[in-house]
Amino acid sequence: MMAETAKEEKKLKFGLFLGCNIPFSRPDVEVSMRSIFPALGVELDDLLGQSCCPTWGTMPSIDVVGWCAVAARNLALGEEKGIDLITACNSCYGSLNEARHKMLTNPEIHRKVNEILATIGKKYEGKAKCRHVAWVIYKDIGLEKLKESLKYTLDGITVAVQPGCHFLWPSEIYPDREKDPFNPVVLREICEAMGAEAPHYSKLIECCGMGALRSTDPEKSFILVREKMENIKEEIDADLIVTTCSSCLIQLDDAQERLRKEGKLNFSIPVMHLVQVIALCMGFDPEKVAGICVTPRDEIIKRILENKR
Amino acid sequence: MEMMEEGVPPVINLSKLAEREETELEKKVAEIIKELGAERIMYCMQCGACASICPLAKTGFEWYNKKLIKALIVGLRDELLDDPTPWACVACNRCTEVCPRRVSPFEVMFAMRRLMAEEYAIGSLAIEGLRALYEYGHAVYMTGREARKKVGLPEKPPSTESDPKALEDLRKILKQTKLADLGLIPME
Ligand code: SF4
Ligand code: SF4
Repeated sequence: MMAETAKEEKKLKFGLFLGCNIPFSRPDVEVSMRSIFPALGVELDDLLGQSCCPTWGTMPSIDVVGWCAVAARNLALGEEKGIDLITACNSCYGSLNEARHKMLTNPEIHRKVNEILATIGKKYEGKAKCRHVAWVIYKDIGLEKLKESLKYTLDGITVAVQPGCHFLWPSEIYPDREKDPFNPVVLREICEAMGAEAPHYSKLIECCGMGALRSTDPEKSFILVREKMENIKEEIDADLIVTTCSSCLIQLDDAQERLRKEGKLNFSIPVMHLVQVIALCMGFDPEKVAGICVTPRDEIIKRILENKR
Repeated sequence: MEMMEEGVPPVINLSKLAEREETELEKKVAEIIKELGAERIMYCMQCGACASICPLAKTGFEWYNKKLIKALIVGLRDELLDDPTPWACVACNRCTEVCPRRVSPFEVMFAMRRLMAEEYAIGSLAIEGLRALYEYGHAVYMTGREARKKVGLPEKPPSTESDPKALEDLRKILKQTKLADLGLIPME
């Protein structure tokens, strides 16, 4: 009893780190986060003044110290308030934690970064880290509490999970790690707790081809999409793809439509971010939490809303 | 060396190039790559584990991790500057996870990007991302206002978009990085 009370008293609080993809391209994912976490008893701080993480094509491609300095300013916004950041974007998760790891393992980089931060009256000690929404749900909130919060379930729905690269590798830099990053189970277990079947498929850990690969060579990037889609169709015939990454969401949702238009794909599987699926199952307005997509979602949303718990 | 005189052949024989006498420049390229963040490049033993799972190798990019590392170790540099492979690296770090020598091939790819940026061998999309980062605080910046309104969110997220002082801070940081030295984008 004592332990339980103590646990309840320690209210979870995070700085909501938005990044770029989510607030500008998929704001329905932002609405989902802002809906589900308070409902699950997690307080969110807006982290006013946050910027791009910085993403891979920007400062990481120019200069290590510059990369870490931009990341450190974002992390410091949480550190000043004594909270960690939380993100639904794998790129932000990767870039922020990779930068943090560099600063913690290389005092020279950390010193230079703090010299730069001092010019804007800030510092970053290395305490605040960036957590991933899926891990917070899995570890901090727990699957039991998640289940209790649902109005609708995923019963009878087969899900293909797409954790995405920066949920997994390089495992040593992340605050939370799968037991075997080449056989990830966390997203599958979350979906299963919500009632879905979430079987393994051969290309589960394959890259979606988004980001640098797509901007450098769309044709090559779409090869990866096509292979993944066909594999999902053939092996598990999924009704829905659930991802923990905003880039995977945009790529798989958008590129499968392109492939269909080119006659290279003759089926369609809706794609949603995990937080959107949870928001739907909690009964939030589908227009607001899952209203933006290229590949139609109407049917799967209808099915979910027929699954009253 | 006649191979080089004819320009870059379609298939570069790396073992052959490795036999070349080391010049000052050749010695330097791996050193530069180390300074640019890939400290452990020389530990590579060319086992190929990184290439076996690299999305770039899989989709047919020319200078994927293992091959780029070899090329840099043997001293190639100018031959590599026109190739887009490093800019296609998705930073997935599968390679880092499996490398038995802790080379972090990802770091080599990105050190190569940094070297290419110094040589202005950087694409217009990357420049645009850097410009948007400086201008708005968001590299992937779309007007997105309509979409935000549609889902009931304020037009601007609580980022540098809503906080001029924070944007000023960010710009001040960027001005103290190599981005400013290189002059890749207008900074004020
Ligand atoms: S896995 Fe490591 S040692 Fe093996 S080729 Fe790649 S970088 Fe070299
Ligand atoms: S990080 Fe880059 S080089 Fe390494 S496996 Fe991924 S795409 Fe290939």
